[in-house]
Amino acid sequence: MHFFSVVRWIAWKDLLSEYRNRENISSMFFFALNVILIFSFSFSLDPDTLKEIMPGIIWVAFGFTAIIGLGKSFLIEVNNDCMEYFQCLPVPKGAIYLGKFLGNLLFMLTVEVVLFPLFVLFFNLEILDQFLPLLLISTVATIGLSALGTLFSALTVQIRAREVMFPILLLPLSVPIFIGAVEATRGALSGDPFSMYRHWIELLGVFDVIFVVVSFWIFEFILDY
Amino acid sequence: MVATRFIGWLRRYEKWFGITAAVLIAVGLYTALVTSSADYYQGEVVRIMYVHVPFVQTAMFSYFTLFICSIWYLWKREAVVDNACHAAAGLSLFFTAGGLITGSIWGKPTWNAWWVWDPRLTSFAILFLTLIGYLMLRTFLDDKEKGATFCAILAIIGFIDLPIIHFSVEWWRSLHQPLSVSTRGISIASDMMIPLTLMSVGVSILFAYMLMVRTQMLYLEHLLEAKQGRLLSEGAL
Repeated sequence: MHFFSVVRWIAWKDLLSEYRNRENISSMFFFALNVILIFSFSFSLDPDTLKEIMPGIIWVAFGFTAIIGLGKSFLIEVNNDCMEYFQCLPVPKGAIYLGKFLGNLLFMLTVEVVLFPLFVLFFNLEILDQFLPLLLISTVATIGLSALGTLFSALTVQIRAREVMFPILLLPLSVPIFIGAVEATRGALSGDPFSMYRHWIELLGVFDVIFVVVSFWIFEFILDY
Repeated sequence: MVATRFIGWLRRYEKWFGITAAVLIAVGLYTALVTSSADYYQGEVVRIMYVHVPFVQTAMFSYFTLFICSIWYLWKREAVVDNACHAAAGLSLFFTAGGLITGSIWGKPTWNAWWVWDPRLTSFAILFLTLIGYLMLRTFLDDKEKGATFCAILAIIGFIDLPIIHFSVEWWRSLHQPLSVSTRGISIASDMMIPLTLMSVGVSILFAYMLMVRTQMLYLEHLLEAKQGRLLSEGAL
């Protein structure tokens, strides 16, 4: 089978299965909603302070959502005994990784796009004129998060205490992504010109390339078992 | 056979590493604490630098060793290389914790805070957490070979943190002082540079010595487990 066909079919399979049962997206969405609600009544803030801490709140919510959603990415394959089939596929194993990564990326972005209006609603944000930069920041940061999350999901799904180990492994290594995402989001929400926070987006881009390439290369060793 | 030769080599040379490390650290500590002058601004407090900087450098060096051994393991699949990875990870955690503790003690009198969320401190804390994750991952995997592979993967991914730690003081305007030795030259007095170099080299060789001893211990444990497994399968135990 052609390399890109495998990527496309695995991503398509995940999206179709999600469309039919909506398990992953709904749990990610409601979990993030809960986080937003807790934050919204935990802080009663003036607009200036809110602008200062809002990027942190947004990315804590997205980070928790990633833990909930990405952690289960390979669980469904294990439960349905599909890992053996993945191992037998006569294609570079990186194609399977890319397919799962694309599926996860689309889930995450869907949840983020739905959550942004809720941030506007609960925290009275004015982000309409900053919509495009925020979309770019979310996409670039989510690529990195999904790249790491997909890899660690495949890794932790095969061990004991997977629910504990997934965030323990994912969070420290995704700190550079969170730092870049929070700083860029802060710039966008403050209404700074794009050039002032562009370097953070470029930094996120560099991490994305590193994480995707290394994970793609290394994924074969995970599926060997 | 490669493992036996490698272990034999470690056993033959380990004492020379131990003796060299002991001599360098003893001379380094004497020059650092007795003969070198106090800092103009920081006074006697600066002397913690002679322990802090070598610990931090060795923590990064030991993670680099872990990274190289992990690639080597994925390539050759030698059990003894995995033992070296395991040993390097434990030692890296030890030196990282040492670097964080001594840095914190140095930070209190100079920055008036035990901890600040400075880029270098944050990236170093990430290294600490990654190593804890690495060692936890080992305990959660019953299959030794699978555990070795997964840990090697984690170590390779975690390596991204090392350049961030090293260059964080250059990339971000931070509270932590910039590099004293860089391509721009050396910005440290020579009577401080000599004990610092002695301590840095001494602690690095100490790490090499500890790595040699710990790798042998882990390899012997591995052999013992393999032997127990064989005896169990033969019904002798």
